[in-house]
Amino acid sequence: MGPSVFVFMSFTDQIEPLKQSALTELRVASDLVMLEQARVDYVGVHGKFTSLLKQLGSLPKEERPAAGKLLNQAKVELESALAERRNELELKAALPKEPTDFTLPGRRPTLGKLHPLTQVTEDIIRSFRKIGFVVADGPEVENEYHCFDALNTPADHPARDAQDTFYLSTPNKALLRTHTSSVQIRVMEKQQPPIRIIVPGRVYRRDNADATHNPTFQQIEGLYVDKGVTVGDLKGTVEFVFKELLGADVKIRFRPHYFSYTEPSFEIDFSSALVKKMGKAWLEIAGCGMVHPQVFETVGYDPEVWTGWAFGFGIERIAMIRYGINDIRLFYENDVRFLRQF
Amino acid sequence: MKVTLNWLKQYVDFNWSPEELAERLTMLGLEVEGVQKIGGEFEGVVVAQVLTRDKHPNADKLSLCRVNDGQGERQIVCGAQNFQAGDKVPMILPGWTLPAKPGEEPMTIKIGKIRGVESQGMMCSPKELGLAEEAEGLLILPADAKVGQSFAEHLGRSGSDVIYDLEITPNRPDLNSVIGIAREISAVSGNPLRLPEINLDEISSASATALVSVRIEDDELCPRYVARVVRDVKVGPSPDWLRQALEKIGIRSISNVVDVTNYVMIEIGQPLHAFDYHLLGKNADSHDGCPTIVIRCAADGEKFIALDGSERTLTNQMLLIADETKPIALAGVMGGQNTEINASTVDVLIESAYFKPQNIRATSKQLDLRTESSYRFERGGDVGICDWANRRAAQLILQTAGGQLAASVVDGYPRVAEPKQITLRHSKVNQLLGVEISPVTNMQYLRQLGLEVTGEHEGQLCTVKIPTFRVDLKREVDLIEEIARLYGVEKIPATPPRGAIGANAYDAVHDQLAEARRILTGLGVNESQGQTLISETAAQMAAGSAAAQIIPLQNPLSSDMNVLRPGLVPGLLDALRHNLNRKNGDVTLFEIGRVFAQVNGQVREERRLAIALTGKRNSTFWSGEEREARMDVYDLKGLLEEFFEQFGARGLSYVRCAEPNALFLESATIQLGKQSLGELGQLVPTAAKRYDLRDAVLVAELNLDLLLARRNTAKPFKSLPAFPAIRRDVAMIVPEIATHEDVLSAVKQAKAQHLEAVELFDVFRGKNVPAGQKSVAYAFTYRNPERTLTDAEVNSVHEKLVEQFKQKLQAVVREG
Repeated sequence: MGPSVFVFMSFTDQIEPLKQSALTELRVASDLVMLEQARVDYVGVHGKFTSLLKQLGSLPKEERPAAGKLLNQAKVELESALAERRNELELKAALPKEPTDFTLPGRRPTLGKLHPLTQVTEDIIRSFRKIGFVVADGPEVENEYHCFDALNTPADHPARDAQDTFYLSTPNKALLRTHTSSVQIRVMEKQQPPIRIIVPGRVYRRDNADATHNPTFQQIEGLYVDKGVTVGDLKGTVEFVFKELLGADVKIRFRPHYFSYTEPSFEIDFSSALVKKMGKAWLEIAGCGMVHPQVFETVGYDPEVWTGWAFGFGIERIAMIRYGINDIRLFYENDVRFLRQF
Repeated sequence: MKVTLNWLKQYVDFNWSPEELAERLTMLGLEVEGVQKIGGEFEGVVVAQVLTRDKHPNADKLSLCRVNDGQGERQIVCGAQNFQAGDKVPMILPGWTLPAKPGEEPMTIKIGKIRGVESQGMMCSPKELGLAEEAEGLLILPADAKVGQSFAEHLGRSGSDVIYDLEITPNRPDLNSVIGIAREISAVSGNPLRLPEINLDEISSASATALVSVRIEDDELCPRYVARVVRDVKVGPSPDWLRQALEKIGIRSISNVVDVTNYVMIEIGQPLHAFDYHLLGKNADSHDGCPTIVIRCAADGEKFIALDGSERTLTNQMLLIADETKPIALAGVMGGQNTEINASTVDVLIESAYFKPQNIRATSKQLDLRTESSYRFERGGDVGICDWANRRAAQLILQTAGGQLAASVVDGYPRVAEPKQITLRHSKVNQLLGVEISPVTNMQYLRQLGLEVTGEHEGQLCTVKIPTFRVDLKREVDLIEEIARLYGVEKIPATPPRGAIGANAYDAVHDQLAEARRILTGLGVNESQGQTLISETAAQMAAGSAAAQIIPLQNPLSSDMNVLRPGLVPGLLDALRHNLNRKNGDVTLFEIGRVFAQVNGQVREERRLAIALTGKRNSTFWSGEEREARMDVYDLKGLLEEFFEQFGARGLSYVRCAEPNALFLESATIQLGKQSLGELGQLVPTAAKRYDLRDAVLVAELNLDLLLARRNTAKPFKSLPAFPAIRRDVAMIVPEIATHEDVLSAVKQAKAQHLEAVELFDVFRGKNVPAGQKSVAYAFTYRNPERTLTDAEVNSVHEKLVEQFKQKLQAVVREG
């Protein structure tokens, strides 16, 4: 079809071919530059479609509405095609040259980790708090009275030896507490029953460091004093806490034992799939007992009115059992490859 | 305490399996630490003699033998080559089982045909008997082996037995004896305890009281001393039963007389000593030359040679057994060489005494000499059993070494112990244990333990007479424990948690510490826990001017751990070194813990927070400029700033310390108001070198107790701005000495209205900036919360601010 033919075509007959040609150009535009060129060519100020629009005024008056309507429809269609193609090409332009390798490692902010002993301590505390216990605290540097005498430890008991206990070069025969039980005394001196506390903290024994000993280690102590507290209560609470801590499948066993500050006294063993895997039937995990009436008398509680129980265990031991750690020294070396595992 | 099953069975009947007994004892409070089965492993194996050895008719490598097993002849097919007719060998009879090798099924011997010929048993190699790992051929026994004797007997391991290793708690000295343990079994089984019967034939021609006298110089240290004399004994090896009983539990057999004293000690728990009577010094002044046993304290510096042959120097606190001329035993610990039982001993003096536990313990400890005897005395023996044990020893000496017992006894027992009485209220049992046990049952349990019980007050009470062997029973609650043990702790029902809600001021503090930890881990720092005990050198570095407050240990284990930490930094540096030595070069750590100082003779414990950073700033990544960037002091500062803001610490300022110190190259104190909260900075290279640290190490330590006290956790809500802000930037050149803090205080002084925020966004030195000066750029944000500000309003305020900089800081403001 030559230009001469075009000249003689009616005005309305020109709309559709022009639109089709414009749509083709939009389609073939492979980037935003070509698309812009196509836009300018057709709907720019001097574009072909714009010039057709300009001719509308020269049509006979009666033909104008119909022609105008057709032109408008075509223009709307062109503009929407243009917008659609622009979106497509913009999206294409936004893509990186090379596709992203989503298997590559990302830039990673790292969260610090809580020390495993802190984590275990927090878990234990959480279990106790569920049943009404609160956390208490006391000094690590103690005197013989709070660490031994008040806990009914005989005057010549080996635990008091300089062989086993660290003494300080201070004027008043201060020592590093050998157990958190000293806090029992401190709290009972200050508060009247009922008492329901747990005491986490560092304790010290004069053992050379090896796979199972460190001169510094951590314990947690529980003390409950009230009217009518029984061995049954002790058992119930211990079972609750250890099930929370070690899993619902654990079995707990109480074995009669001896501690100077409780009577009767028990050691607590537990059994679980984990213990069986270690080739044992039971694993000792804690000591406990009913507070000795002598201890109550020492702090000024009437043992005829009040009864109570106490129990304590080593936090490292729980952590070692729970995570399968075989050397206590790892806790105090703070190797980040160790810390980041928990 | 080691004890064997067979020994226990002499005193009480029970038909529990060895495992069941272990379980029962454990649940009674006698924890079983080890169970070892001995003997019995060669059941069905006898000593046999090969009568003939011929070739197997159907196999070249086998032989066909006739063997005598002591009962008769057997035909046996054998593959071994190392024997001949006449040899004596172990043979296992049909129907018996060879010991199983680990991981294998045990093999039971049957009568069967081997290559068509019947074999009626098997001759054994050491390997087959589990006596050796490898073996070539049969075990050939000595020619004098008794044909027909059981192989175990031949080896001297007759009879099977089980050895238990028990942990005896220190409150129960009575359980350091076989009879004590049997008594527990009797109590829990209800079967009666059978004590050995002692009927002694005494000779009237001699009397102990005429042969020896006893003088106790200190009856507090020695409340009782019993002596008997056995005459005309024949010292020699012990009979098998005695030797084996001791050897099974790890006591070496010495001679019949000495073994008896050990046997009775293990049996009843009373340590005994036997002296050679004729080696006792005779009294010069007594007409019949009768020796006197004197129980006295040693003289300071007195020398004594004990049975172990070494001479020890004593103090006047140590109790001795002596004659009138010389010490003859270290009381309760060890006898003396000078009066030792020997091959030519004829007359024996048997000592059975009770010594004050504390004294024996002190002596044994001071001399570093621990014996079975001292172990028992220091835990507290049974003052009431001395005479029984003495008679028992006399009985067994007569039985094993012959002789005659001199009539009568010397029993120095000036103050006879009265049995204690304890009243038990049955209601208290139920109240404490949380289970209903009837009074009748309570009393029955106590009686089964060998206590004398009298019911009173219509069954509400009972009175319990405590025998001397139960030194642990002191008050009512001790009896309740006994009832709990026999009732069975496992039968006491567990009560679900119930009761009061606790209260303690520290509870909230614990949460605050937990929150501090949580924030710090959120900021990417790992929690560390260091040793409380550190070296004095490290402590001095950390304590700086407060070195005099460091608390040394009186009895440290080593110089690496000889003081209490005065700060947390040494622990963190130890951790950094540990990590760097293991190629973990990028480490961020914090610790929250206690430090210790001695102030005016008082120990002060303080909670601290310390942080240490070193290595790369960013975690590993595979591209980018900042990849290799190392942390500097502003990483630490920023971390602290965010921590303080999140934790609720306000009003902090930082004052640069003029000089380097033992710890820091450059540092600043962190001020909280007028108080010093702590210090931050970069570790001084000398310290870094000491800890093998290469990259810059950034360290901060602060007083957490102070921070907790001054913490403000209030979070008042501020409405979000409704009107736009206007930002003005200022770039200016200021002298190096002008700090950021100076800029901020200049801003403050300008009192610029509607100034909402000041932000430093560039510090530059170099091109176009004169030496000794720096270019700093700040952004100022102005906002009126009530309405939109106009440019003109902001300009007039901002110009005053810029003017302030020019005047106060000698700033040259860069235009444009």
